[in-house]
Amino acid sequence: MTRLSTIRTAVAAIGVFAVAPLAAQQPIVLQWQTANLTESQYEPVWKQTIAEFEAANPGIKVEPVLVARKDHWTKFVAAAQAKKAPCIVSVDLTTAAYNGYLLPLDKYWNAEPAEFRNAYTDAILSAAKWQGQLYGVPIWGGTYAEIYNRDLVTKAGLDPTKPPKTFADYVAWGKKLTGSDHWATAVIGGKTDTTTRVLLTWIWANGGEAFNADMTEATFAKNPKSLEAIKFYLDFAGKTAIAAPAPATTNYLEQTTLFAQGKIATMRNAYWAVAKVEGDNPAMKGKMFVGTNPANVPNAPTLATITASSISSSCANPDAAWKFIKFDAGKKWSIARAKVSNWMPMRNDLADDPEIRADPLLAQFVKIGENARSYPLPSPVWADIASNDIVDAVQKALLAPDKTDEIFRDLDTRLTKKLRDI
Amino acid sequence: MDARPPVGAKVVPDPAVPQRRSASAFGGRRRWYGYAFVAPVALFLCAVIVLPLGHAFWTSLHRVRGLNTTFVGLANYVRVLGDEAFWHSLYVSLVFTGASVALHMALGLALALMLHALRVARTPLRILFLTPWMVAPAVGATIWLWLLEPQFGVVNYLLRALHVTSGPVAWLGEPATALAAVIAVDVWRGVPFVMLLMLAGLQTIPLEQYEAAAIDGATAVQRFRHVTWPNLRYLLVVASTLDIINTIRHYDIIGVMTAGGPAGGTEVLPVLLYNTAFRANRFGDAAAIGVALLVLVLAFSIVYVRLTRPDRVEAA
Repeated sequence: MTRLSTIRTAVAAIGVFAVAPLAAQQPIVLQWQTANLTESQYEPVWKQTIAEFEAANPGIKVEPVLVARKDHWTKFVAAAQAKKAPCIVSVDLTTAAYNGYLLPLDKYWNAEPAEFRNAYTDAILSAAKWQGQLYGVPIWGGTYAEIYNRDLVTKAGLDPTKPPKTFADYVAWGKKLTGSDHWATAVIGGKTDTTTRVLLTWIWANGGEAFNADMTEATFAKNPKSLEAIKFYLDFAGKTAIAAPAPATTNYLEQTTLFAQGKIATMRNAYWAVAKVEGDNPAMKGKMFVGTNPANVPNAPTLATITASSISSSCANPDAAWKFIKFDAGKKWSIARAKVSNWMPMRNDLADDPEIRADPLLAQFVKIGENARSYPLPSPVWADIASNDIVDAVQKALLAPDKTDEIFRDLDTRLTKKLRDI
Repeated sequence: MDARPPVGAKVVPDPAVPQRRSASAFGGRRRWYGYAFVAPVALFLCAVIVLPLGHAFWTSLHRVRGLNTTFVGLANYVRVLGDEAFWHSLYVSLVFTGASVALHMALGLALALMLHALRVARTPLRILFLTPWMVAPAVGATIWLWLLEPQFGVVNYLLRALHVTSGPVAWLGEPATALAAVIAVDVWRGVPFVMLLMLAGLQTIPLEQYEAAAIDGATAVQRFRHVTWPNLRYLLVVASTLDIINTIRHYDIIGVMTAGGPAGGTEVLPVLLYNTAFRANRFGDAAAIGVALLVLVLAFSIVYVRLTRPDRVEAA
């Protein structure tokens, strides 16, 4: 060994010994991205969750990735394509799993005790699976129902204890709730999948179906009940004239703002909208009530979104990520999310929890949610069709109501092609 | 005393001085020096332009579903070019670009003429008119989004206060008004730059030409037509070509204000590209749209390069 190589070896050894303790001290950093971290009603809960998790797991740090809701998916996709996606994510699970962005979690799930696994029903877990593999743990959800402004209902001479049960009842209420500068409701036609969610609730309430059972064919126009419901709903902004103007630009934010300002008296939304409205206008606290979606068929299901926490396939520390997901899925945080953020718990061991039952509005949403279909629908192209194709069709039909049949027939053709091109 | 030979003089080697290297060897070495100096920039440009372009083209030949990729040849191009959405987007792009560029030029020139004629407050006004151009496009678009909001927006409030409209107008809710609105915002943002270019052009026109025209009894309109316009014509053509290249690939304002809606009414090609890539997760199709857009931009770039060739500049 020459003198030079001896010196080099010595320097390298010193370097390794000097750096090793530092590296050992470096905590694992987990990035966490959901669409909701930027929402004020959730902020106190997630901050406390992280603080307590880090205190219980000194070697792990959780770094929240704050992204505006509308940029959530695109930012995730861009990062996932670069194999730099945050470790813990809540995204459209089927689409993300199909594209290879998520890690199957069966290994972790099966290693958990039965007590933890039994807290989730098979129906709820099925919404977190793709091709038989589990890709997420359902954390929270939102059941869509009709939320009313009690003061406006009473002022219109209507009885808040007897909300409309059928489509015809709803229009009758709508006429009474509409005035020169205020309206009964808002048709959602903005360019996000909230448009699709609300449309599906109307279709199902009329006994229609938007897709066949195995999601290989779209039936928006093919199913007469679906088309009838679509026309009925979109007509609120047309001939029926009970909806606020500008439906093609109205979305969750605009709808809840209109409701909070008393511009509309009812809105089709989930429990979290109550928190949003109270945040926008604290005077609305205690002035809202909820009813089942008016329906033309008995036992019509509503829609319940299920948000699951997943681990991205590029995550360098999946074991630590699973630790956090399990911690976040705990009872304490499920109740906190329900009470503070108005997000419904997914654990079946919380349905009768006294803290949940103590909130009548939440209890009502939980009851309505007993007859709900899970959302997103299980197709790898769902993220695309729900926020693009269906929304475009709704916007076109709002702009040219007399062409609704043709527009939704074209949509059926387009979607069926996409659903089969997987 | 400077011992260097005068410029252009032929240098004859002194036979008394021994030549250490042949001229060709020296030239070859100098050439290598040149390459070495250019290499860092060339490598940098390769990394930021050539490689991404190559990757985009490679992607356009593949079916990309997330992290799964399959070679499909030209199938993405066939699908994209056969899709009505592409041709609709191209049409919207051309309308958006044509209207925006025409208005940029007309208003930019008008403002430049006004500022050039002013004798007072020229600098503060110039800064004031430049403000929209200084604001980031996404920020400006967000501000306009709220100004144009149907229920609570200032624009509707003012129009109703002035009895121009009776109820709320959904500016971004109808394809025609939405396209007009995004064009208006792009004009608001783009006019200052053209104004600045034109102002610079106006200041290069020799005063003698105006004086001569005045002596000949030319009116203001005649002075504009026979002095200003011929002097600015070349600048206008170059500026509008550059503006077309900038505007046809513009994304920010439309992305923020309408995301291409309603019903595709404002979906210019860059927005279609973005929606196809990031909303629909069809990166192969999106890359094919990108290549088509590149061809379009390149066509205008060739026009620009030809226009700015030294012999043309000289002639202008």
